[in-house]
Amino acid sequence: MNKIKESLLKLWNVLWRPLIAIILGLIVGAVVILIVGYNPISIYATMFQKSFFTVYYLLQSLTRSVPIIVCSLSVIAAWRAGYINLGAEGQMILGGFAATVVAVYMPGPVFLVMIAAILSGMVAGAAYALFAAFIYDKFNVSIVISTLMMNYIANYITTYFITFPLRDPSNSIAIQTREIPVAMHLPRIISNKPFNIGFFIALGLVFLMMFIVSSTKFGYESKMTGLNPVFAQYGGVKKSKVMYSTMALSGAIAACAGMLEIFGVKFRFSEGMFTSTSYAWTGLMAGLISALHPVGAFFSSIFLAGMQVGGQSIQLSTGIPVQVATLIQSTIMLFVSVHLFANFKKRRKKKDVVNLKKAGDK
Amino acid sequence: MKHITKIYGNGVLANDDMSLDLNESEILAVVGENGAGKSTIMKILYGLEQPTAGEIILRGEKKCFRTPQDAMKSGIGMVQQNFMLLPPFTVAENVVYGNEPRKNHLLFDRTKAQKEVDELSRRYGLAIDSSLIVQDCPVGLQQRCEILKVLYQNADIIIFDEPSAVLTPQEVDGLLETLRNLAKVGKSIILITHKLNEVMAVSDRCVVMRSGKHIATVKTSETNTKELSAMMVGREISDASIQPVSTGKTVLDVEHLVMHGEAGKPILKDCSLHVEEGEIVGIAGVSGNGQTELLHTITGLMHAESGSIKLNGKEIFGNDVRSIREAGCAYVPEDRNTMGCALKASLSETMLMAHQDEKEFNHNGILQHGKVTEKFNELLQEYDVKYSSLQQEAGELSGGNLQKLIVAREMSHNAKLLIISEPTRGVDIGAMEFIHNQVLAQRDAGAAVLLVSSDLSELLKLSDRVYVMYDGQINGELTRAETTSQKVGMLMMGGTLDE
Repeated sequence: MNKIKESLLKLWNVLWRPLIAIILGLIVGAVVILIVGYNPISIYATMFQKSFFTVYYLLQSLTRSVPIIVCSLSVIAAWRAGYINLGAEGQMILGGFAATVVAVYMPGPVFLVMIAAILSGMVAGAAYALFAAFIYDKFNVSIVISTLMMNYIANYITTYFITFPLRDPSNSIAIQTREIPVAMHLPRIISNKPFNIGFFIALGLVFLMMFIVSSTKFGYESKMTGLNPVFAQYGGVKKSKVMYSTMALSGAIAACAGMLEIFGVKFRFSEGMFTSTSYAWTGLMAGLISALHPVGAFFSSIFLAGMQVGGQSIQLSTGIPVQVATLIQSTIMLFVSVHLFANFKKRRKKKDVVNLKKAGDK
Repeated sequence: MKHITKIYGNGVLANDDMSLDLNESEILAVVGENGAGKSTIMKILYGLEQPTAGEIILRGEKKCFRTPQDAMKSGIGMVQQNFMLLPPFTVAENVVYGNEPRKNHLLFDRTKAQKEVDELSRRYGLAIDSSLIVQDCPVGLQQRCEILKVLYQNADIIIFDEPSAVLTPQEVDGLLETLRNLAKVGKSIILITHKLNEVMAVSDRCVVMRSGKHIATVKTSETNTKELSAMMVGREISDASIQPVSTGKTVLDVEHLVMHGEAGKPILKDCSLHVEEGEIVGIAGVSGNGQTELLHTITGLMHAESGSIKLNGKEIFGNDVRSIREAGCAYVPEDRNTMGCALKASLSETMLMAHQDEKEFNHNGILQHGKVTEKFNELLQEYDVKYSSLQQEAGELSGGNLQKLIVAREMSHNAKLLIISEPTRGVDIGAMEFIHNQVLAQRDAGAAVLLVSSDLSELLKLSDRVYVMYDGQINGELTRAETTSQKVGMLMMGGTLDE
């Protein structure tokens, strides 16, 4: 009984902050909708109906959430150790691209090709992140800047390849690769719906990540490096080893995000597929909203994906631009970053102490 | 100040219904052990902290200081324990900082500033060359600069927070002289300290504090050190003398360490020392004379250019932290908040540091949480650390409890060499005695202990042998029998014992 209570309390500790931020974000959004001249309650009702409370839209939201969840894990892996990897987008582009190329062009039995594709995707993502770690280590180039800039490089290089040498010749309009063999598509749960087992793979990655951060020496050392690098160094943790391994892990996970989208939904690599959808950035938001907690990030990602799906629907049905959804998202983000809640919590604790003391005085 | 109560955000009751009063041109000493709440009440007076309850009355007028600027306007100044100076600027620039004289209301008037500061230093008899760069000044002069800064702001009430903590015994004499002079010209002075001889030497009245409460206010002429210390501690202090144990083979042998800092400034100049089994070796010295760098070099956190460090006969010069720890070295760092822990980490995470490779806690890279919890709960109870759960954050512990946790963590290595820096900085008297006993127990069990402390009385009490460091060098070595604070003070200033 106590155990259940304790784990519920833990979950609450992870979730209460994003929840309050979400509520405040929705309130700000409501004000904007009101100013535009609509009734926020009915708009919100439509929006949530068309993101979570209809089977069709719920599946769409969950499908959209897959790369977002995995990107948030990628961000969390590096950020917990104090390395701000803003390159999830570039890493997922390269990882997805490498895996697609192997899947489309490598001959051999499906099973082997699939494994080779996954491995080469993860290696590509990890190597791309490692390069940023390397130039930080050797030339002191800030990881924030290098990873951010490398997003563009990855995007343009892959765009070159799919525009010229690796372009699907059968389609003269869309700039994309050929489709990967049908046998390699991730199985769908319901036929005709894009929702596929990728979601459960993402869920598995969340648990894997939870295990890594809470129960391994690697997770421990990277967390301590993130919290206080001097303390970690004092305890004999090798800083560069932690940096290289966390960046590699982060890059490999980002690559998984790209691969899940390609093997589960799109079945090919096409121009701008990860930039225009801004999965990586939504994942980053989800990670930050949940204070870098994998389980929190899982729920935040689903919520944000639903907001985007719902936002598109209200644009179609009411004419309120999809940007309102983006605005609500950004407001939530701002409310999370304000340390308002942390202080609020502290103040409450202090009050408890005072009360305790008073009780003791009697 | 009347009935001041202050409760910090983390629930620490720092002041409990504390009152004190101050007359004109008087030196009032506020004494109490570490953590008695002396600094807190002064921070409240100076506007750095807001009282939870109570009021401040200045010349019959009720005052409320929200910021130090408020307090300064009312003529209250404070000389902080950690100097608030800008090291690359001159003395004059530092003194006028915040109230600079200006040309045409816009430009900084450097000549005028220098002239005013010189004038000020003449008026109060605080000789200083106002064109010196602060970072080149010895600590005593830096403090003088800090005092001038307060005087420049026309303070009538000056608070000194542990002013002698960083000074050599000779510099302390100069400081006490300054205090007397300032009182003579009409300034009121509050002196916070836990050094009773200073209280006896300069103060007119003395307020004793213990665990946030006002214990007594006495005329200095009507009391003595013994009575004061009994009031401070709340009981007679046991003054058990420490018997040396027999020493064995050399555990740590440091030879000819040389290190340069940025811009080629020498930090360690040919530094040599050794520590044997079963002895506590102290390193005395004014902080900033290379002690920190020496300890960091031994523990692998920094690297010297040349020299030799042998631990149990094995050369460890230039090795990394992990291999030095594995070779048998534990280290309680000088600053528990920046190096000894991560304030946001949980207690078990803080305790695990440098234990994460032990078979007991780590099976092939997977941490054994059950074992960790069990062992650490045991250890924390043994060390009498007050905590509610291993999951709480390290930053929620009080300073003394956090320090005990760090000491427990390092001592549980049972390392051959135990390096301890500032073991009791900012901890209460109970924790202090406890930590001292633990250090002695390690020594008695055959460990070699290297101790650095800026609290000279602690250092002299514990050490079987003392090295004095001055300007990156060992400037003398004394056995327990030879040691007196005068001799150590002389050596700390760079002098010799020949006279």
